[in-house]
Amino acid sequence: MVGSGLRIFNAYPAFARKGEMFCCYPFEHKPIPDWLTFGGWLGGARHWHFAMMWLLVVNGLVYLTFIYLHGEWRDLVPRKGDIRDSWQMVKFYTFRRKDHPHQGKNNALQKTAYFLLPVFGALAVVTGFAIWKPVQLSWLTAIFGGYVWARYWHFIAMLAMVILSIGHIFMVFAVDPYSLPSMITGNYDPSHSPEARNARPFYHLFPRRTPAPPMPPPPEAT
Amino acid sequence: MSANPRRFVSVNGIDRRDFLIRGSGLVSAAFLAACDSRGPKAADKLLKYAERKNLAVERKLFRHTSMDVVQAGAHEAGNKLPSYYIAPTVPVWEESVRGKWALEVSGLVGNPVRLTLADLQKLPQVSNRVNHYCVEGWTAVETWTGVPFTELARFVRLDPRARYVDFQSFDDDYHESWDIESAMHKQTVVAYGLDGKPLEPAHGAPARVYSPVKLGYKNTKYLTKIVFMPQMNGGYWSDQGYEWYGGV
Repeated sequence: MVGSGLRIFNAYPAFARKGEMFCCYPFEHKPIPDWLTFGGWLGGARHWHFAMMWLLVVNGLVYLTFIYLHGEWRDLVPRKGDIRDSWQMVKFYTFRRKDHPHQGKNNALQKTAYFLLPVFGALAVVTGFAIWKPVQLSWLTAIFGGYVWARYWHFIAMLAMVILSIGHIFMVFAVDPYSLPSMITGNYDPSHSPEARNARPFYHLFPRRTPAPPMPPPPEAT
Repeated sequence: MSANPRRFVSVNGIDRRDFLIRGSGLVSAAFLAACDSRGPKAADKLLKYAERKNLAVERKLFRHTSMDVVQAGAHEAGNKLPSYYIAPTVPVWEESVRGKWALEVSGLVGNPVRLTLADLQKLPQVSNRVNHYCVEGWTAVETWTGVPFTELARFVRLDPRARYVDFQSFDDDYHESWDIESAMHKQTVVAYGLDGKPLEPAHGAPARVYSPVKLGYKNTKYLTKIVFMPQMNGGYWSDQGYEWYGGV
């Protein structure tokens, strides 16, 4: 979806209505590098985009139904104190706090990210419909401030999802790689949790700070 | 392996480093394979299927009451409106060579006609200030003056068996066929004026079809014929792989 969307965007890599300027995009008329795009040409990318969009919609609905039926949405809704706790995580990751803040299943930064991802996903879908059918669904397009702005929010939603996904994947590998096998098997050893290990990014790759225990004296020759 | 406590083996025996190396290898291979390509050939059937289904969805979504609305404060594109044609130079109707221009309206109609520009201008006239939606993603606000398509259809006594209409031009062999409901939308006009002035050759003179319910490429310029048909007839860009429907 991202690649084909960028290919479509490259047909007119700007937001301004013809004869106007656009305030809020610094790279107007600068195309996205080809290697980030998918679909080969405008028409092909449109076919991919308009076919796969239904997969994204179905996938989103399955996800929302699942977390609703399992009650897991409760883990994701923002709560009072989440912003303060997120700030504590930022402080920890930037070495301005020594110990890992206490967390349950997910830390506050994770919770914020996992809450925002489906929000931006829904925004991408809804703004997508708004720019697909700006006349037939003109009421929807109007909610987002008209076609030009709906197209902009569609782009921003994509960008937010890409940033969240890259950040998420980076943190999985950098902070909690032990969770990778557990995504498939379900087994997770709590003694390897980032909190238990006081793990910052790439912590597991660095040698321990604690000095090694003194070597036992070599056995006496007999 | 037990000699190196930093090498962690999970309970089910997946070695973390192997997992990372193989995983990232697979992911990068998939990315490289997909980069700037048209995607796998095998997907063509699926994409065609999706296009057919989307066509059905779009025709279901279509409402004659849904109108294009220009946002308050939007500026007219004026001379910033791009000019597109497929011929190597701007198509101009040379009266000395081809005789007087006339628009043929034929096919499934009770009263087939040939209308000169003066005849067109005698029919009921409307000016619509609407958006232009290009397949590339840009929009432009313009005021189009011309005959409402519904008036033209009434004038030629449209046959109810006509489900499609083909707009043909003298810009080489450019044409695009439409579903009849989009053509009969209130904002569809056979336009001979743009922004209060006669239509110029750059934008489809002497007359072109214009509707905000269709993407730019569906709005044939340099009209010569409007033919009502019982079945669809493709189009210049539609035949090259852009969606035939091209609805907005």
